[in-house]
Amino acid sequence: MKRRASTDIAERLLAGPVVWIGLVLLTAFALAPFLWMLLTSLKDRRELYATPLQYLPVHPTLANYIDAWTSPVTPFHRFFLNSLWVCSVTMVATTAVSVLAGYAIARFRFAGRDALLLIFLATQMFPSVLLIAPLLTQWRALGLIDTYQALIYSNFSFTVPFTVWMMVGYFSSIPRDIEESAMIDGCNHFTALCRIVLPLAAPGIAATAIFAFVVAWSELLFAISFTTQTDMRTLSAGLLYMVGQYEVQWGPLSAGVILSTVPVAVLFAFLQRHLIHGLTAGAVKG
Amino acid sequence: MTTLSVASARRRPFISWRLRKLLIGYAYLVPAALCLLATVVVPIILAIKMSLYADVLYKPQDYRFIGLGNYVRLIYDPVFWLSLWNSCVWVFGSVILQFLFGFAAALLLQQAFHGRALVRTLTLLPWIIPGVVVGLIWQWLYQPNYGVINDLLIRAGLMSERVAWLSSPDLAMGAVVFANVWRGIPFFAIMLLAGLQAVPDELYEAAEVDGAGVLARFRHITLPLLRPIIVVATATRIIWTFNYADLIFVMTGGGPANATQITSTYTLQQAYSTLDFGYAGALSVVLLLVMLSFTTVYLRITKGVEAEQ
Repeated sequence: MKRRASTDIAERLLAGPVVWIGLVLLTAFALAPFLWMLLTSLKDRRELYATPLQYLPVHPTLANYIDAWTSPVTPFHRFFLNSLWVCSVTMVATTAVSVLAGYAIARFRFAGRDALLLIFLATQMFPSVLLIAPLLTQWRALGLIDTYQALIYSNFSFTVPFTVWMMVGYFSSIPRDIEESAMIDGCNHFTALCRIVLPLAAPGIAATAIFAFVVAWSELLFAISFTTQTDMRTLSAGLLYMVGQYEVQWGPLSAGVILSTVPVAVLFAFLQRHLIHGLTAGAVKG
Repeated sequence: MTTLSVASARRRPFISWRLRKLLIGYAYLVPAALCLLATVVVPIILAIKMSLYADVLYKPQDYRFIGLGNYVRLIYDPVFWLSLWNSCVWVFGSVILQFLFGFAAALLLQQAFHGRALVRTLTLLPWIIPGVVVGLIWQWLYQPNYGVINDLLIRAGLMSERVAWLSSPDLAMGAVVFANVWRGIPFFAIMLLAGLQAVPDELYEAAEVDGAGVLARFRHITLPLLRPIIVVATATRIIWTFNYADLIFVMTGGGPANATQITSTYTLQQAYSTLDFGYAGALSVVLLLVMLSFTTVYLRITKGVEAEQ
């Protein structure tokens, strides 16, 4: 940023020390809780519950990670795989559905188009607690309790509305002439969509897909309501289940917290730029 | 179509082409519509129906139609009214603080410095991690005996003895709001940052030439230009915070003595722990009505904002 030399004292203060102190404080505030959790996960039981508090692990150990991962009571590797499966299927299905719907809304003029967009926006505002009792009744009637399907279908209730909304934004930004000329050259709508539009919208679609994955990864309430067996729990539900077992074991629990944070943190680092676009294009839960 | 003769295809190409296009459009919408029908529309209708029945999961023999009975119960339920009040404290406490700190963060992250991309990503972290993780991290930080917050405050001489943050009725709400503020700052930061980046530099430069100081520039350029995005971000956040139950559910479960019970956690408790689906249904309908009125106001406001632009 170019700034002319100025005699404004407020300006000089704001440009110099205030910015630096502010940035340090901001980063520290955002990261310190994670750092504390990381340190906790590396301590053994004695260091963890030492009085006075011991800040740094003197004998750092990975025992908590191994404990959490292999424990027979709270099988973290199983929770991890459950989450991976549920979120991946949610991601693929949501993306397929919303690419079609987003394309239709962006390209076709039909009666009720604005109303439909409004419905998609409004559904994002609905609280998910509202859906728990009715969905539970519904899944019980269909015999889907303790299945991956129940979790995946339930995830659609909050992923589909915002991914459709995001896809409409991406498709609208692609000039219409491109596919019209493709259609004159003999493509029908579907082949034009697959060959011309999808490659152009690919970055946006990828961002939408990853975002659907991340939101599904965070989902807790459906996961605890629609599963009863330990083996069917997702990461979020599993972490809560670890708290419910006897006294809280902060060692393995903190290891579990770190393990469930890493995948979404990595995915999000890739997403950042697209995310801001998606956020400002429409409202997003999260 | 391809088997038709050329002449008949030419005779009425326009109508059939438009009709076909329309049908294709609807066909593309079917999967998304089915998803929402099965997971949102039908459940909401089911919730409305549930609210009219005495429907406790483990008492199937008592299942019967009771009309507005659950709603009458709601009116005489002091916890429900308390939860509405708590929701207000929770929503406005969280959103106001998130906004102020988020705005400050956006202004900081807007500056040019080395490693800006990295700092932006790192400060975003609290917002993207699962709610249950946020809850557990803060539960551990607040832990009375081994929590680092008590320890730091005592070492700094700000407190003389350990405090049970989450199990004392006076402190619990403040404690969960603070954790939620930590989580929500990045949301405002990235929204407002996107807004800041859209403000043309020339405006600032011109104002500087005219002798406007940094505060005057902030008041007369930054704030008015950011107004639309501030309105949208705040409204979205208010609605979302009102709905959000995970964090409180994990940290306090609405306790101690309902001190942190907000309407959404109360609904969750009725559906998940008490298994009183009839009552949960009535609470859901109330939540839905509150949300719909919020959303209507929100849409009005955003429409107004768009019209201004």
